[in-house]
Amino acid sequence: MTVLTSIGKAASPGPRQLAGRRRPVRETVFLIALQFSLVIAIAFLAVLLAYVISKGWARLDPRLWENMPSIRRPENAGAQSAIVGTIYLMGLTALFVIPTGVLAAIYLEEYADRDKWYNRLLELNIQNLAGIPSIVYGILGLGIIARVIGLGFGLITGALTLALLVLPVVIISAREAIRAVPPSIREGSLALGATQWQTIYRQVLPSSIPGIATGSILALSRAIGEAAPLVMLGAATFVAFNPESLTDGFTALPLQIYNWIGQSRPEFGVLASSAIVVLLALLLVMNSVAILLRNRYQKRW
Amino acid sequence: MSEIGTSIPNVTVRGPEVPRNIQALDPVFNVSGLSVFYGDYAAVRGVDMVIGNREITAMIGPSGCGKSTVLRCFNRMNDLIPGARAAGKITYHGEDLYGDHVDPIEVRRRIGMVFQKPNPFPKSIYDNIAYGPRVNGRKKGMDGIVEEALTKAALWDEVKDKLKQNALSLSGGQQQRLCIARAIAVRPEVILMDEPCSALDPIATTKIEDLMQELSRDYTIVIVTHNMQQAARVSDRTAFFTAEVDDSGVRHGRLVEYDETSRIFTNPSDKRTEDYITGRFG
Ligand SMILES: Nc1ncnc2c1ncn2[C@@H]1O[C@H](COP(=O)(O)OP(=O)(O)OP(=O)(O)O)[C@@H](O)[C@H]1O
Ligand SMILES: [Mg+2]
Repeated sequence: MTVLTSIGKAASPGPRQLAGRRRPVRETVFLIALQFSLVIAIAFLAVLLAYVISKGWARLDPRLWENMPSIRRPENAGAQSAIVGTIYLMGLTALFVIPTGVLAAIYLEEYADRDKWYNRLLELNIQNLAGIPSIVYGILGLGIIARVIGLGFGLITGALTLALLVLPVVIISAREAIRAVPPSIREGSLALGATQWQTIYRQVLPSSIPGIATGSILALSRAIGEAAPLVMLGAATFVAFNPESLTDGFTALPLQIYNWIGQSRPEFGVLASSAIVVLLALLLVMNSVAILLRNRYQKRW
Repeated sequence: MSEIGTSIPNVTVRGPEVPRNIQALDPVFNVSGLSVFYGDYAAVRGVDMVIGNREITAMIGPSGCGKSTVLRCFNRMNDLIPGARAAGKITYHGEDLYGDHVDPIEVRRRIGMVFQKPNPFPKSIYDNIAYGPRVNGRKKGMDGIVEEALTKAALWDEVKDKLKQNALSLSGGQQQRLCIARAIAVRPEVILMDEPCSALDPIATTKIEDLMQELSRDYTIVIVTHNMQQAARVSDRTAFFTAEVDDSGVRHGRLVEYDETSRIFTNPSDKRTEDYITGRFG
């Protein structure tokens, strides 16, 4: 009301009617706070990047991906087994988590009756699972996948554990993508005599693939940086061979970095930094693919 | 709105160039005692009507009186709404539409639907038309089906050079005709239209109305419309619905009057119908 009356008083006939009020101090402060938090976030990232790149620069050369790790001779040490291990781990995790996550999301969005208590319970649990610390998943992998199921401590156990870790995130993002497909598309398809599965397979999924892909890639890039569950699984931090079968022992970049940082000789610190750069580069590539996908298939309705 | 009432004698009710013997009603749908519930709420109660073969039946009435609800019973689209339920009986060529043996998928294949807002799939024009036949298992002769459907929907000349283009690049009126073509492509027997012109300009509307006249030679058409001139212009029979408040203060949709369009618009037997079409409705 006060605003209204003050405008009423100020509204004298004249050319200045459209001039508007000056931006109130509160808004300016708010804007500065917003920009400030953005600057902090970006500055932090920039400093981190600058630090690891400058430190690791000396060892950012082919030796890093051509040679195997070595504890005795840092000048020849590489991270090939860790890079290969990370890539295998990613591929396998994706293989496990994407179909499972997408199918679960389809069930929850398209079939589940939200009035049923067990569906609501399921939904609630998925939200909660997304928040569980990764080390707990490591314990689960160790206890159930490695011991009870007996898959041992190889690549497949690592991938399954990471898949479980990011599954909730994949499900949640796939659900969002599926929900974004307008109901009118489903109705249009069903009205033509399509079955529910035909409607999902031919209309809903193709329309939500960009969203699903983006979400899955972002989830996988979380998995790629995880060390804790792998440590729990007893993944060796020093492996001088590339994994050749699903049950082979393996190492991954975060573990290799952790191992090198723990060494006393400064050369290993440099090596760790260069491995961090490689890890960040991998992450960056994955996220750019996600962004590309998202921009390329912008909403079309 | 009020000029509708006074100009009723001037409204062209189905031009004489299309002579029809409306009396000889050949029933396609026979609705008796239909009530539709959303959960516990009875949105529509006690509807009785017979829909004639190759006729255009219009459903008019104020907003919220249950026109869409009734229309969506005809192809069992209401099945898709959780909690929606139909009581009473609808027969389709004598067969109980809600019988246990009836497959809603098959019902929807025979009874097509066009929605209020054009809803083309985000695919090419060609694929939009071919979608229905494809999900129904047709593989061969698709080019012919597409051309035939688009021709019937009076869209072929406008799109024949850009069949591979995305359907969403068409104008609203073209999209709606595409949706009609898409419905035709599965060769249904009935086409249900829920306010098909409400998002269109007068020229596009005229085109769709002409198209409906054309299609009524081969198809039974049921159309919901808020445009009374449209109902008067295109339909053979008109059903007037309204919402009534019952003793406990709940609103239910009711079918007030159902008759030949010419009678509804010139000599309605119910006061409420007259009030509505002359614009005196509150
Ligand atoms: N999915 C639904 N769930 C619950 N109630 C509904 C649903 N759809 C419609 N209704 C209710 O049923 C009644 C009839 O709705 P309906 O959509 O059939 O009206 P209508 O005559 O088509 O109106 P309009 O002319 O505005 O389209 C309304 O009171 C509405 O609130
Ligand atoms: Mg409606």
